[in-house]
This record gives sequence, C-alpha cells and structure tokens, in this order.
Amino acid sequence: MIKDLLKYLFQFVILILAQLLVFNNIELSGYINPYVYVLFILLLPFQIPKVVLLGSAFLIGLVIDLFMGTPGVHSSASVLMAFARPRVLALFSPREGYQPGTLPRISEFGLEWFVKYTVMLVLLHHFTLFYLEVLTLHHFFATFFRALLSSILTSGILIISQYFVFRK
Amino acid sequence: MRNLMRFLVKYHFLILFLLIETFSLFLLFRANPYQKVRFYNYSHSLSGRISIRIENIKDYLSLRNENRKLAEENARLYNRLGSSFTKVIGDSIYMGDSLHPRKYIYLTAKVVNNSINKQYNYLTLDKGRLSGIRPEMAVIGSEGIVGIVKSVSDKYASVLSAVNRDFTVSAKIRKNGYFGPLKWNGNNPEYATLVDIPHHVKIESGDTIVTSGFGGVFPEGYRIGIISDFRLKGGNYYEIKVKLSTDFRKLNYVQVIRNFARTEIDSLEKASYR
Repeated sequence: MIKDLLKYLFQFVILILAQLLVFNNIELSGYINPYVYVLFILLLPFQIPKVVLLGSAFLIGLVIDLFMGTPGVHSSASVLMAFARPRVLALFSPREGYQPGTLPRISEFGLEWFVKYTVMLVLLHHFTLFYLEVLTLHHFFATFFRALLSSILTSGILIISQYFVFRK
Repeated sequence: MRNLMRFLVKYHFLILFLLIETFSLFLLFRANPYQKVRFYNYSHSLSGRISIRIENIKDYLSLRNENRKLAEENARLYNRLGSSFTKVIGDSIYMGDSLHPRKYIYLTAKVVNNSINKQYNYLTLDKGRLSGIRPEMAVIGSEGIVGIVKSVSDKYASVLSAVNRDFTVSAKIRKNGYFGPLKWNGNNPEYATLVDIPHHVKIESGDTIVTSGFGGVFPEGYRIGIISDFRLKGGNYYEIKVKLSTDFRKLNYVQVIRNFARTEIDSLEKASYR
C-alpha cells in the first residue's frame, strides 16, 4: 500500500518535472504543445476511490497551473478528464471487465485498448484546455486545429513512452 | 434525511466533480483582480526560483549567440557616441542640465521564465521593485520590443509579452509616420497585426514598423518589425502582417525603460479628457 503510494507520488513529481522542464520547451511551429502530465491520470489503478481520482487530478492540474501562471485552466481540464475516466473505461471494457489487481497498461490490455483509452481522454482534456485558455470562440478553427494537433502529439508521445517505461 | 443520504452516496462522484470543477472555473474567471494578482505573484515567485536554475544552464548553452548580439549592440552604441561624430563646433559638449532633462533610463534584466506557446504569454524578469522596476514600464530586447511590465514583486517582475492577446502598442510606419494599434493575433509568435492604416497610404513589404511613442510607455522609434504582408480590410483600412524583429524563443537579456515624463503626461491627459 505504502509502496504504491510512493510509486504514484514518484510518477506525479516526474511527470510534472518532465512537463515543465522538457515538454513546455518543445513547441512545434509555435503553437502545438504536448501536455504529457495527463499520463498520471491515465495510469492510476482501476480500483482507485473516485474521491482520490478527482482530488489527485485537481492537484496535478493546480501544480501545473501554478508553474505556468494560468489559474484554473489546467485544473479544470484535468478534473473533467478524471470525471470522464470511469465512463471511458466502461465504454472500452473487455468482456470480463477489469479484474482486481490489473492496471491500465499496454501489457495487460493490448495496444488497441490503450490507444482508444488514451486518445479519447487526451482529446477531451486538450479541447477543454485550449478553449478555456483562449476563452473565446473567435478563432474557433485556429483553436480547434491547435487542440487537435496537440492531442495527436500528446497521445503519440504517451503511447510510445509506454514501451520505454513499462518494458517487459 | 435518509433519502438525502442515499442521494449523496449515490451521486457523490458527480457532486464532488461539480464542486471541484466549480472551484477550478472560479480560479479561472477569478472573482476579483486582487486574487488574480495574488495568484500571479505567488506563481511567479515559485516558478521564478526554479526557472533561474534552468536558465543558468540555458545561458551557458547560448553564450555564443548572446556574445554576437552584445557585440552588435556595442557597435550600435559606439556609433552613437560623441566621439564617432565630427565636431562642428569644437568647444561644445553635452551636459545633463535642466534644459535637457533625462527622459528615459534603461535597466538591464535577465529573462528567467518565458513562454510563447500560450495565448496569454508572460515573461518573468529577475529584477523587481527593489531594482526600481514598476508596472507599466516598457521592455525591449536588443532586436526590438518585448513587452510591458505588468506586476512586480520585490525581486521579480512579470512582463506582458508582445505575443499576448492582451498586448497592444501604438505603432507607426517609419517612412511616413502613419500610426495604428499593433496586436498579436494568437497564432504565430513571429507575426503581429497592425490595423487602422488608411488605404491611401503607400506601403510595401519590407517597410520598417517602429513604436510611435504615443501612450507614453515605449519611447518613440523603437523597432517592432517589418511588413511581411498586407491587405485591405473592408475597403478603407489596411490589415498589415508584421514580422516581429524580436525572436521570442531566444530572449535572454532585456532592457526595462523608465519614462520620467510618464506621470506628467498621464495626469495632463486625464485632466483634459474629462
């Protein structure tokens, strides 16, 4: 139990550092930006209490907000994503459901499942994020493409990273 | 009571979600400007401290580039020195006196945090109130304008970047003096848009855009960029795409400009507009 807690705390810190130090400094053609810290919400165990799920999503969003000087933008998007997670999981649930003790990983449920799960939640998160950030529908399509391209980039990075981090 | 409890237990996820999301959105839309400023100050003192370490590393890596820029700037300043002009009247020298009061003073500061990938981009400088930086001061780089100081803490200053949706500066075309507001359009950090130039004005790509000096923040004649493209909007006014001369991806050292005439101009204008 303590070991798990430490593991997720470690992920929390590493993902925030990676986001702030590495991924915030990558920007392709000026306005496509990957937000990889959402991986934290994706990797939480299936049986996590819903209160903890929402709370930790809010916390990671708030920390990112604090460092990027964007009050509420990342936390709102992360909380919405955490709220949607159980529904998305139910949508892509395998026939026998998620067995206790399993974790949302490619090695357990396969690449196809992980891609669907990741892309769906990342799209939701990024579209919320980018529209909350501009707070206007003025440049609707410009924002739309920024959100879409960034989602593709983030999902790609997250899926590829799985092969490096959770190697068998 | 029992039904209420059952309701709460059944929908605790939704209720909790609504609570937290409302709080986040409250942060976003902010009840009042005071809380907003507090958030920014806290955020900047936190990220300022960490960013300074990262910047040290980046600094080292960009030494060559910085050296080149400084050398170029030195050359430009040498050209302005009295010694590089022929003296027409041999015995006159310039002295600061009450006939020629100092109008601007420049403070060098280092950029410790910078972003270009958001819609509302800010920079953080490593100097603040204790170094004499105040809100509303102009910030320029060696290549062109950078932004306007928005808020200051004791040791850091937060600057509204020119690539921020909220940024506007009065700009003019250098060769004929026509002026209009220049804004960033939120897409590409290399371009901004100048509007309100009447259609009879002759312009072409490559013309230099400089600050007009109106508004009292930026001194007159600072380089903003060059015209890269323009078209008529609504038949009467040009919408001009301006390539910014500052590369916001590579900002390192900037100058903060204090305008001594600012308060006087402000109070005069306030009095006469009423």
